[in-house]
Amino acid sequence: MTDQAAFPASRRMFLQHLAGVGGTGLLMAGMSALGFGIEARAATPPVLSGGGGKTVVVLGSGVAGLTSAYELSKAGYEVTLLEARERVGGRSYTARKGTQLTELGGEPQTCTFDEGYYINPGPWRIPYHHRGYLHYAKTLGVQMELFNNDNDHSYLYFDKGSGPLAGKAVRKQAIAADTRGYASEILAKQINQGALDQQFTAGDKELLLDYLKGEGYLTAKDFKYVGTENRGPTLDRGAGLNPGEFSKPYPFTDILHSHYWAVLQSVSDYDQQRTMFEPVGGMDRLPYAFARELGPMIKLGHVVEKISQSPNKVEVAYVDKSGQRGVVVADYCVCAIPLSVLKSIDMQVSPTFKAAMSGVSYAPVGKIGLQMKRRFWEEDHAIYGGHIFFDNPDINSLSFPSTGWLGPKGVILGYYQFGGSAAKISALSLKQREAFAISQGAKVFPDYGDHVESSFSIAWHRVPYNLGGWAEWTEEGRKTAYPILNEPDGRIYLAGEHLSYITGWQEGGIESAWLQIAKLHKRVHA
Amino acid sequence: MMQIRLLAAALAAPVALTAAGSPAFAEDGQAVFTQNCSACHQVTGKGIPGAFPALAGDKFVVGPVGPVAKTVLNGRGGMPTFAPDLSDAQIAAALTYVRSSWGNAASPVTTDEVAKARSASGLAAPANGMQAH
Repeated sequence: MTDQAAFPASRRMFLQHLAGVGGTGLLMAGMSALGFGIEARAATPPVLSGGGGKTVVVLGSGVAGLTSAYELSKAGYEVTLLEARERVGGRSYTARKGTQLTELGGEPQTCTFDEGYYINPGPWRIPYHHRGYLHYAKTLGVQMELFNNDNDHSYLYFDKGSGPLAGKAVRKQAIAADTRGYASEILAKQINQGALDQQFTAGDKELLLDYLKGEGYLTAKDFKYVGTENRGPTLDRGAGLNPGEFSKPYPFTDILHSHYWAVLQSVSDYDQQRTMFEPVGGMDRLPYAFARELGPMIKLGHVVEKISQSPNKVEVAYVDKSGQRGVVVADYCVCAIPLSVLKSIDMQVSPTFKAAMSGVSYAPVGKIGLQMKRRFWEEDHAIYGGHIFFDNPDINSLSFPSTGWLGPKGVILGYYQFGGSAAKISALSLKQREAFAISQGAKVFPDYGDHVESSFSIAWHRVPYNLGGWAEWTEEGRKTAYPILNEPDGRIYLAGEHLSYITGWQEGGIESAWLQIAKLHKRVHA
Repeated sequence: MMQIRLLAAALAAPVALTAAGSPAFAEDGQAVFTQNCSACHQVTGKGIPGAFPALAGDKFVVGPVGPVAKTVLNGRGGMPTFAPDLSDAQIAAALTYVRSSWGNAASPVTTDEVAKARSASGLAAPANGMQAH
């Protein structure tokens, strides 16, 4: 239905015709011809074969490194993957009982959540169009579940505006209904008064009025917004003699001055749209599925100290967990270490390449998981997943788990901040971070703190081997440094989310790996 | 905005006290530094080698004010922009503290100098989206 509405009839018929005679392959080609750009992003890995025993050393076991190692080894390359930590996954990480983390300059932290509870402190949601990730989830047997990224019945909490709604938790559905209702009413009034007669033919006018009536829940006769059950009733209708009770809309001026309308858009950002997924059991499930396939090719606890190369070979010097030093010699290197870390590693590349590595910045990012004694958001507030948006950038979003529905306990994401806010909160002690998260959550749920059992916090800019949440390119950097880093320097190929236009998402790492290993393979077979 | 600052200052105050044993005031350079900068550069100003540059004994930090203020306003490498978070007076106070601590001995930084760097950089506060990744 929606698809049909989106395409003009002639184009739609053309596509239906293609699908009928040629199957999806032809349909896709047809869509590309029509300018839909379907082929612009690969949906499956490059098909490589005939690695012929060439050796490749892969650095880093985030999804970019794992993807590279997996595809290259399948194609017959002899792969060694060096990983600094005692675990695989990089930022694709899950903190659960026993997880240990010590930030640079920070206190040691051990996660004390109950068995079976966890937080994904790094990536936590997979959009439906991240086809590379979903490809591996499917082929490696990682079970996925829905991630609720939008909850009509959740609260919003803005306190920077003014008026009676500022600093008062309100339901998103009420704000959405009222804002669109009033805005539609005003527009309808203008149209009915003839204000837009010049723009529209009579037929257009009628149709637009019909749209506004639906969009804004306007009264049939006089186009007024008087509220709607859909904004959330004060009493749910029920059986017998209970017809329910409608709630009253907020005054428009109160909504405007509270700034709550800022959360509304016709649709979410492309990256944030439904459908969204998460792996069952935690974000590290995909890295561990890769690791299962790669087996002894992965060397954990191997910290890269130096990367050098000659016209024929690459040499990677490492120190392992026992302090033993060694060198891996290979024909090629795929380096999937974040640039924030790589720029401090002794690396034999051209001065231009080296300079380009400093052309990117990394986002400071902070998150905290709070294990709650009971799922009070579900039991007391009928909130199942989704987020509470704050206009305080030190919190941004407080998010409810999309797993363990109706179960005994749950882990809430207590804050998710970036930039200066993340720098500030990360200066606090672990206890202070928890206290800060509780003080903010309590603005929406007065009893919030009573439910907190334990917490696990992270400041990615202070995490060894990451030093940042994700790469951030400026327009200038995209033009100058970025193209340089996308090409190999000698026998060294870089890969990672930082070499994509999908920065900060695992998909960027996966697709960057696909691109780079395809280049490498082409060169081997040139 | 104001409410948030006050809250954050209240939280950071104990940190400042522990670190230096002296009381922190609203625009106290040490307090602003401890609250916003010390997570990476450390309260000692020594940073962490390979990750966060030292400010103690760093030539750039004690050099001309313009580029230093610009770095705080625009960010660089792993360092975020502080333009939307800190006022000119707060940045001036923090920089004055940094330039006169841990053996550093450079001129204080005035609010006007920071304001000048801010208008020169032409940096509007970036919009803070509701959703990231």
